[in-house]
Amino acid sequence: MREILKLSITLAFVGLVSAALLTGVNNVTAPIIAERQEAEYREALELFFPDFERFESRQIENDLYDLIYDGSDRLIGVMATIGQQGYDGTIFYNLALDGEGKIVGVLIISHTETPGIGDVINTADFQEQFIGKSFADPLIPGDDVDTITGATISTAAMITSIRRVVGVVAENFLGYEAATVDLADVPDGVYQGSAPGLVGPITVEVEVAGGRIIRIDVLDHDETPTYFIESYPLIPELIIAGQSLDVDTKTGATLSAKGIVDAVQAALVTALEANGGGE
Amino acid sequence: MKSNPSYMQEFTKGILKENPVLVALLGMCPVLGVTAFIFNGVGMGLAATAVLIASNLVISLLRSFIPPQVRIPCFIVVIATFVTIIEMVLNAFQPVLYEALGVFVPLIVVNCVILGRAEAFASKNSPLRSVLDGLGTGIGFTLALFLLAAVREIFGQGTILGPDPDTIIHLFGENFEPMALFAQPPGAFIALGLLLAGVNVIYKRFNIK
Repeated sequence: MREILKLSITLAFVGLVSAALLTGVNNVTAPIIAERQEAEYREALELFFPDFERFESRQIENDLYDLIYDGSDRLIGVMATIGQQGYDGTIFYNLALDGEGKIVGVLIISHTETPGIGDVINTADFQEQFIGKSFADPLIPGDDVDTITGATISTAAMITSIRRVVGVVAENFLGYEAATVDLADVPDGVYQGSAPGLVGPITVEVEVAGGRIIRIDVLDHDETPTYFIESYPLIPELIIAGQSLDVDTKTGATLSAKGIVDAVQAALVTALEANGGGE
Repeated sequence: MKSNPSYMQEFTKGILKENPVLVALLGMCPVLGVTAFIFNGVGMGLAATAVLIASNLVISLLRSFIPPQVRIPCFIVVIATFVTIIEMVLNAFQPVLYEALGVFVPLIVVNCVILGRAEAFASKNSPLRSVLDGLGTGIGFTLALFLLAAVREIFGQGTILGPDPDTIIHLFGENFEPMALFAQPPGAFIALGLLLAGVNVIYKRFNIK
């Protein structure tokens, strides 16, 4: 009994001293670290938004959006802080957009992509192709932006993530609305549409009858099969059950799920345009 | 107790004769993980040296106070404390190095060089000897990391003093195509193997035992 007590007290004592020491050091270093990180962030803000005066933070899902205002309280842009799954771990980056939703800069905060391969995401060559692009651009690999050979997964993840963020910013902060389709206007028929998923385009076939979506099939996709099964057939089922494209896409494969929804939307838009409808 | 070696011997043995990496092959995880650049390798070596000296000193001071049954948990707590201190200090004052070393800084806790010296040496020797042992072993560790990182950075990247763009020097001009393999984890194993072979030849030649 005495023996156990002695052991416990020794361990507790060592632990206590250690905790006290760490608290002391943390008290000294924490403010310095916080100050440095804030200074770095401010520097980035001033680089992208020379008229920057103050910002307001908003959180949407897991991402942080700072709304940037100038001296006369005009919204001059948005700085998004995003975490995106890359090839090997999460890529954290800042995306700076001006008041019209155009990209002014991409800044990688931290990443663990393969040195010499995936780390091309941190090069000017890769990042500059986004400058000036906005939600009005397709931002699709091989179309208006390029992945980099040998680092397809890292670069495609960045492109997909940037496309998503640009859309989120335009819709939430800049007052641009995504096109909506009234199902009642869509004539009966079978329509095809495609939209980018995480890796490549997803093509779907949508059957509409009596103003209702009755069938959604994915005809073609390049998504990772093990992830794709989390969104297919789940997402089509949700769309059909709710007769709405406003479905919760938070599966294990958010970007694939979003791709399916966008592809269905594209199919319906095509349907309306083919029939001269869609005011 | 057997006759004590001189203080000088305590210090020098860790550098060549009992080099933790080149002879004992301890602490391979950081050795292979952070040696893509000389700056990172030496930074890791110095961080580990600081922890090694501090933990050796404290463990040596506590050696009669800690009951043998709980010595390993106590050693680990002491080492983890110093590693966390180093981590916070690096983050505050050396952010470039901190970012470069990343997950390998907290992993110094389980670097077997440090626990090895605590268990095999500091828990049985006086504080002064333990500090000298820690210093020598740390220098040996840093030296080995430097050698491996030099091979890997020069052949794998064609640079020295990278990856910081302010200090990086490209050694071979524009047309040089680096052997990217050496910058990758498999290249670390290959480079380490070649380095060990070279070191063994030299040790045999000069009869270092």
